[in-house]
Amino acid sequence: MATVNATGPVLAARHLQLGFGGEVVLDDVSLEVRPQEFVAVVGASGVGKSTLLRALAGLLPPLQGQVSLSPPSEPSSRSWSMVFQAPRLYPWRRVLANVELGLEGLPLSRPERHQRAREQLALVGLEDLGGRWPRTLSGGQQQRVGIARALAVKPQVLFMDEPFSALDAITRRRLQGELSQLRQRTEAAIIFVTHDIEEAALLADRVMVLGKPETRQPARVTTTVPIDLALAKRQNRAGFTDLVQTLERHIGSETAGTQQEPQS
Amino acid sequence: MKNLPRSKRTLASACGLTGLVLLWELSLRAGLLPGNLVPLPSSIPAEFLAELRDGIWLEVVLASLSHYSIGVLIGSVLGISVGVSAALMPGFDAAQSWLARLLRPIPPLAWIPFAIIWFGVTETAAAFIISIGVFWINYFTSYSAVRAIEPSYYEVATVFGQGRFVDRLQKVSLPAAAPGILGGLRAGLGQGWMTVVAAELFGIPGIGQRMMEASGLLATDIVVVYMLTIAALYALFDYLFIMVQRRVLRWQQ
Repeated sequence: MATVNATGPVLAARHLQLGFGGEVVLDDVSLEVRPQEFVAVVGASGVGKSTLLRALAGLLPPLQGQVSLSPPSEPSSRSWSMVFQAPRLYPWRRVLANVELGLEGLPLSRPERHQRAREQLALVGLEDLGGRWPRTLSGGQQQRVGIARALAVKPQVLFMDEPFSALDAITRRRLQGELSQLRQRTEAAIIFVTHDIEEAALLADRVMVLGKPETRQPARVTTTVPIDLALAKRQNRAGFTDLVQTLERHIGSETAGTQQEPQS
Repeated sequence: MKNLPRSKRTLASACGLTGLVLLWELSLRAGLLPGNLVPLPSSIPAEFLAELRDGIWLEVVLASLSHYSIGVLIGSVLGISVGVSAALMPGFDAAQSWLARLLRPIPPLAWIPFAIIWFGVTETAAAFIISIGVFWINYFTSYSAVRAIEPSYYEVATVFGQGRFVDRLQKVSLPAAAPGILGGLRAGLGQGWMTVVAAELFGIPGIGQRMMEASGLLATDIVVVYMLTIAALYALFDYLFIMVQRRVLRWQQ
């Protein structure tokens, strides 16, 4: 994987073609992400959103094209990290030790590691739960620990793979709000995969829509919609509803296999 | 089946045990059982004290404990090492697969002729036989425990920079498989006691040898003293092990 310089985008993908076992799932995906930008990737189930995320993270080699990712900002950080759909904490580690996982092997002393992990737990509002076992936490708390674990490595890019879709509606709303707040306090650019259009429009600076031009063809980028509304104004605003409807139309038309709207 | 309350359960268990002992004692006293073949339960405590006073009890128990400990230790360490390695390394797994299938059905006691040819009638021979049974239990439980680990745990390790073999082993495989591995260790502790006596019947000093001597003299009460000794030692080791296991697996409770 090539690297990009510090002033340019933190992530650049060019003409990616992805698939497994001879079958192409996604074709011709290009994407550039600026520092601290929040990009949401939406699309119907099975369109290859998670596959794209894994390829961008370098976990899945592309069939064609290339991905370049910014190197770590400092020796005691990692270039990227990930939040999964399920919290995927290690049940045999206490909460604090789970947050420390990605820090192990970085040039940090043990007290520095504890300190950094505690800061991250405080950031997600769980500073008092570091000594608990994961199974004693609620689903929402576990997912917050997952977010703290990912932020602890001070990534340039944070990948989030439908992080709230397994939560109940109330917890999901709360965590969405918290993520909006958290954004202001982290250096990371965020690439957020979701099938929830409202969630994408609520959180992101830009929404990339994936869809299949024809049922049997690989999915492509249908359109990319910038979200210009200020974060605070997105809820309860007529403009927001329009945006969501525009996005819904894009997804709807693409999965139905009809003519594509001209891209802006 | 409905569960009894705890107190009633304990009472029923105690009744079952004392009832049988009482029945046994009374049948002997009534002449329903031949006294030269079956010992009188009430004579056993005195016999135990006599063995203890002569220093025989401690001597044979220590001798057996020594084979047992060495055999269980070697069998467990090798069993877990080979089991975990086979589960993690496909090449090694394939290489040992047929060998394991061939050797596994052979009972530990079938190795006695070789144990004696190789090591003579020695403590080493007893430890060797004990270690074989313990090896297989630990090998199979740790192999399947490691194979059953969710792949997603390994993906998390890779994402967070812990993808090297040593890190994966130490931070995922071993802790995730610990419940299974400890279950195997515990079963091995029990299996060890089963083979320890059999291994000693061939003249290696220890509990088994003392039992053979006693049975030659028809001293059935001494035989029963050592049967109960084994039961007590097993219970003690199992209890201690459970204490350790609780501590290691406290994340589960």
